[in-house]
Parts: sequence; structure tokens; C-alpha cells
Amino acid sequence: MPQNDKALLSRLKEQKVEFVIIGGVCGVLHGASLVTLDLDICCRFSRENLRRIETAVKDLHPRHRLTAGKLPLELTDELCNSLKNIYLNTDWGILDCLSEVAGIGDYEQVLQRSIPYGMSYGEFRILNLDALIVAKAAAGRQKDLDAIRLLQAIKEKCGQQKDLF
Amino acid sequence: MIDAATLAQMNGEYVMPPDAGPAWRAAAEYGFDMSLIEEALQLTPEHRLEQHQRALDLILEVKEAGERHAAK
Repeated sequence: MPQNDKALLSRLKEQKVEFVIIGGVCGVLHGASLVTLDLDICCRFSRENLRRIETAVKDLHPRHRLTAGKLPLELTDELCNSLKNIYLNTDWGILDCLSEVAGIGDYEQVLQRSIPYGMSYGEFRILNLDALIVAKAAAGRQKDLDAIRLLQAIKEKCGQQKDLF
Repeated sequence: MIDAATLAQMNGEYVMPPDAGPAWRAAAEYGFDMSLIEEALQLTPEHRLEQHQRALDLILEVKEAGERHAAK
């Protein structure tokens, strides 16, 4: 199934989902030459916002991709209260929705450490470069550590101010 | 007459920019193609995402072709 990040982002924007782009796509937007096979976002896990996500992907056959039976996304109020993450397969690719980012914190903290990026199809918020480096370090996988090398080089090149906690 | 340095660059040798700092040099020495990063930094974020999409499409196309080949 093709991954179409632009189309997924447009859908989320249309439905006014509150989210911040994190992960590999965030690295790409900062200029890293990485290829990532999914779209990771950190979002507010309020019932209203989760319903917006559901509406955004409703016709894309969304399924919980990590469940044994690939269960369809069918939110209830009870489920909204229990979920911390939503890992989805859709007709337009993988969309992983997280309530918090390791090394950064919950959505509010992620939002505080995000910056706006304008695209022709809307303005989106992405983790700032320093926060992305912190998140990658917290994830700690080899691919994350590799990405950090690139991100630090980009930060140095761009002369970005050090992000203060 | 093309000098040796220019010829080496034509053949793919990366020339460290004069303003390259330690992190940039470390990434280059680790093996990243920093010329790609230089190119990416010239683009708008939207164009970076479009470029990523094209790379991803190609990778998935090759992967599917490989799976079809293996299934024969």
C-alpha cells in the first residue's frame, strides 16, 4: 500500500486535528536525507480530537495495525479514554498517533517545543530540531542514533539557537 | 584543462565546505552523503517532503517488484 504523507496530512488538517509532526517525516522536513515508511504524529488524546482523527481517515479503511486481527478503527468514548497510542494502517499508508514522545513528554510539552511549517496545503507544526534530537536519543535505536548525526550536522549548518528546556 | 581536484569532484569526491563544523565533518566521516543534505537545505520544507515521497515511491516500487519476482 502506498504511503502518501501529503494526503494524510491534508486530511488531518481538514478535520482540524490538533497534532505535531514527529519522527522521520519531521527529520525530512528539517532537511535530513532519510526515508521513512510511516507518518508519526503526536496529538491531543481528547475524545474530540480522536474523533477528528477517526473522521479524517474514516473512508480509508483504518485498522489498528498492531492488533492480531487488524481490528478496524471504531472509537467509543470508553476506548478514547483508554487509548494512549493509535497505530493505524490506512489506504494511504501508516499513520501512528502518539499521546507522548519519549524524552519530551505529553502533547502539551511536544507542542511547546514545536515550530510552524507552512506548506501549500496548510500550516503544520513539527518538533523543533533540538527536541527531535532529544526524542531520537531517547528512542535510542541504531537508526535513531544515525539520524542524530545528520540532525546535529543540520543544526550546526543552520546555526539554530540551542533549545532551552 | 581540468585540474585533479575538479576531476575528483566530478568523480564523486565530496569537498568539505569551508564553514563545515565538527558535527558536519563527523556526519560526513560517518559515511553520510552530505551533498544530499546541502541540496535538501536549499529546498523548502514542502519540496523536501515531495522529494521524500518520490524516494519512498521508488523504494516501494522496487520492493514490490522484488516480491513479485520471488513469488515466481
